Amino acid sequence: MKGTAAVRARIARRIDAWLQQRSPRSDSLLLTHRNVYILPTTAGLLFCLTLVVLLVASINYQLNLGYLLTFLLAGSGVVSMHMTHNTLRGLTLQLRPVHAAFAGDTAVLEAVLSAGRGDRYGVALRLQSADASSASHTDVPAQGQAVLQIGFVPAARGRHALPTLCVQTHFPMGLFRAWAVWHPAMSVLVYPQPERPASALPAALGVPGGPLRSRTAGADEFDGVRPYRRGDAPKAIAWKQAAKTLASGGDLISRDHSAHTQQQLWLSWHDCGISGAEARLSRLAAWIVEADRRDVAWGLSLPAEELPMGQGDQHRQQGLERLALWSA
Amino acid sequence: MSSASTAGQAASSSSSAPTRLWPGWSHLTRDARDTLFLLSLIGWTVLPHLFHLPLWCAVLTAAVLLTRGVLALKGAALPGRWSLVAVLVLTTGLTFWSYGSLLGKEPGVAMAVALMAIKTLELRARRDAFVVFFLGFFLILTQFLYSQSLLVALAMLVSVWGLLSALVLASMPVGKPPLSLVMGLAGKTALLGAPLMVVMFMLFPRISPLWGVPQDNQSGMGLSNTMSFGSVAVLAQNEGVAMRLRFDGPPVPAQSAYFRGPVLGHFDGMEWTAQPPSFPAVLTPRADLAVRGQAIGYEVTLEPLRLKSIPLLEASTAAPQIDGVRVAQTDDLQWLADQPLYSRVRFRSVAHTDFSHGPVAPLIGLQDYIDLPAGYNPRTLAWAMAMRRQPRYAEAGADVLAAALMEHIRTGGYSYTLTPGAYGEVDPRSAVDEFWLDRKLGFCEHFAAAFVVVMRALDVPARVVTGYQGFDATPVDGFHVVRHSNAHAWAEYWREGVGWVRADPTTAVAPERVLSNRRLVAAPGLMDGAMGLVGPRVLAQFRQGWEAINNRWNQWVLDYSRGTQLDLLSRIGFGQPDWEDLAWLMVAACGVLSLAATGWAWWERQRIDPWKRQMTQLRAAVLRLGVPSADHDSPRTLAQRVRTQLGDAGEPLARGFDAIDAARYGRHAQTRPDPQLTREFTAHARRLAQARSVVRAR
Repeated sequence: MKGTAAVRARIARRIDAWLQQRSPRSDSLLLTHRNVYILPTTAGLLFCLTLVVLLVASINYQLNLGYLLTFLLAGSGVVSMHMTHNTLRGLTLQLRPVHAAFAGDTAVLEAVLSAGRGDRYGVALRLQSADASSASHTDVPAQGQAVLQIGFVPAARGRHALPTLCVQTHFPMGLFRAWAVWHPAMSVLVYPQPERPASALPAALGVPGGPLRSRTAGADEFDGVRPYRRGDAPKAIAWKQAAKTLASGGDLISRDHSAHTQQQLWLSWHDCGISGAEARLSRLAAWIVEADRRDVAWGLSLPAEELPMGQGDQHRQQGLERLALWSA
Repeated sequence: MSSASTAGQAASSSSSAPTRLWPGWSHLTRDARDTLFLLSLIGWTVLPHLFHLPLWCAVLTAAVLLTRGVLALKGAALPGRWSLVAVLVLTTGLTFWSYGSLLGKEPGVAMAVALMAIKTLELRARRDAFVVFFLGFFLILTQFLYSQSLLVALAMLVSVWGLLSALVLASMPVGKPPLSLVMGLAGKTALLGAPLMVVMFMLFPRISPLWGVPQDNQSGMGLSNTMSFGSVAVLAQNEGVAMRLRFDGPPVPAQSAYFRGPVLGHFDGMEWTAQPPSFPAVLTPRADLAVRGQAIGYEVTLEPLRLKSIPLLEASTAAPQIDGVRVAQTDDLQWLADQPLYSRVRFRSVAHTDFSHGPVAPLIGLQDYIDLPAGYNPRTLAWAMAMRRQPRYAEAGADVLAAALMEHIRTGGYSYTLTPGAYGEVDPRSAVDEFWLDRKLGFCEHFAAAFVVVMRALDVPARVVTGYQGFDATPVDGFHVVRHSNAHAWAEYWREGVGWVRADPTTAVAPERVLSNRRLVAAPGLMDGAMGLVGPRVLAQFRQGWEAINNRWNQWVLDYSRGTQLDLLSRIGFGQPDWEDLAWLMVAACGVLSLAATGWAWWERQRIDPWKRQMTQLRAAVLRLGVPSADHDSPRTLAQRVRTQLGDAGEPLARGFDAIDAARYGRHAQTRPDPQLTREFTAHARRLAQARSVVRAR
């Protein structure tokens, strides 16, 4: 048994390698007769068996109408084979840029399907390694487009090639399955899996002259107040103090966030308090996410590289990218 | 457009469905609608079966289908596996109770109908659905065992269309495709497949039954050189044509039309065969045919029976003239060719329905016809002895005895059936006993053979005659059609002073088998019912039209046989065609069809996108004016380039590009380019180029 499994695996690898060579990596794929394959499905084989039974019955009972039925079904089956192939042929697939994802989370691939001539029904896209039930389906109207999304879960951090995709259809009768193998050229950046549950952020370091306070101490605390300025969010108003000042005929009072800029949160490889490179990266990733959520300025320090203090989406992406691509 | 939005629509339509059981067709969820579609389709497919199935089967099927429909409407869970098993066991039990067997045509059909309904309770996976579809195709075929009339064909065409639609529906997983679209797609598939169907129907070699079909003899048809008693449990009705007749004058009444085939005088206890003469030729009975009354001239087109025997009307006096074949009449009045006939032949003959034949005086050779195998059927022999011992039959002549036997068959509790079951399975030596004294169910062969056995036991020479009896009531284009299902067996006994006398015991038990036309199918009856509503003249016209269509149907579809196939081949230039030629021709034709399909697909591939073709033309036109362009340049880019390079002179061209941009990508985008635009554009570009060259020349 083991031997046959090994042989089968080797044959599968050979076929994969051959297919790989036949379909070079590309982010867009035009389906032609060269890259669309077709084979009967189990239902198709069952249909064949039905036809044989019908034919034998027609012969044995000398039923001319039975012959007509059998041949009508056979003709329809043959036509359905062409229609199945036609459903994929001429279809263009274009991959949209893939957003980076965390390892263990679902990364979403989006493919735009353009039909060209003729309506396309029941076109499915799935990872080639996944089973058929995970496919997502769509219809593509003639001259129109449709978007298919498909998720996959990257296992490890780093920059990975996208998994091999399979676009397929059973339309119109489910007797044949036409499919094409698609090796996207695009790669996806996979951040380290953030540690869950996230450990507490390290204490922020005050820059010289700044107050030594941590944002992690509590959400209700704030660092200072200032008079209300137009455009302050209601959330930013210090209602307790404002009530007092309003009562004494003063103005609204807002929390003064500018005090934050004086805080500097250094997320450091060495201060992780944990051993193991991947575990450290996981914790750092969780910290970056947390720091970004709390709107704190942070900097990242890794062995041999450093990301200066900063804030915002781009900064977050840069930090996570460093983590994703870090190697000793 | 995207899957998410259509799925959202489907979900919202299902959530808005009120709690009423019937929310209206368009408000049904996709699942419920598809299931109801399939259920009504199954109902339609099995409906014609309900006329000949036992009541329980009809009730059970209807109940299961209704239950499933209600479950679908409520969106309730399907019943568990054990309740299905219970229904299945019940069905099996009832089938066995009704038919005494689970095998054979009738119980098979009953089981298939019930199974089809029960399977709908188990539509869990895709695979289950496919099982239902394919079982549906099989059920459609079983309809044809009962009738192949035009009406049944049309009804079943609807079923096929519906089942194909259900297949298509199962392959469209997105949203809730409208049924009209699905049926359109299924219809298109079937229509595109129709040429293949026609080719295969015409050219697929019609071969004889492969196995196990009743009357499975050397010719695979209704007539044979031997007849074995009781081995045929179920008689298939082969509606193929055996021969066509055209009478010079008025036709012979169908009930007196006996076509004499092989005469079987020798019985070994199991099988009837022709009597080999055991006495010198002088002592064997001769034909000695004497005819009276008017001669009836007629023409026969005989399909290949692959027998030497040529079944002609009793009693025909003129030998058929067939090229290359010598035909002679035998002593038992049979017309025999010197070789089996493998092709269709046409000939003329003359018959007298009033005739007598056989020796008038006792002859030693008649002894052959009272021989019975020793040790077989002792109870029947004892029954005959007992009859002989009755005073009124002690000295009775052959006529009286025959009449008494006919009376016994009429009143003795015998039934005519095409499905009598096999005889002699327990004890082959008492097959006739079993029929004559116990079960009393049979068709013509049983009655004829038992009659002959009893007559012989009464010391009256007798023999079995096989052949055809009767023909279709309605002539087709002046031809009376004799079908294989008209195959018949009857008896002859010898009476001193007269000769051989025909006795047809089947008439005693089932007069309608001989008197009326058995091929009166349900279809005309159905039509008659609907006809009562319109005037008699319209009715008559309609009936004529209907019969004409039906005749065409019979001729072109039902009567299409191997003979027709070979005819077709010889007409298109095959000398002495055989089934191999047919097979090759079919393969070649299918190959041509698939090549044509491939060629069409190739041509489709080669066709350039019409937009691209237009752009290529326009770009070539402006290139002559010195405006270069690349494949990926959009019409808008080109418009700009033309404006900057050609200025006002190029403005119409720039506007042309703008128009294309609007037609392709604008709000009112068109699907095809405007050829008018192309023409005007190139014309203007040409004028411009000419004007420039003139300027340059000056």
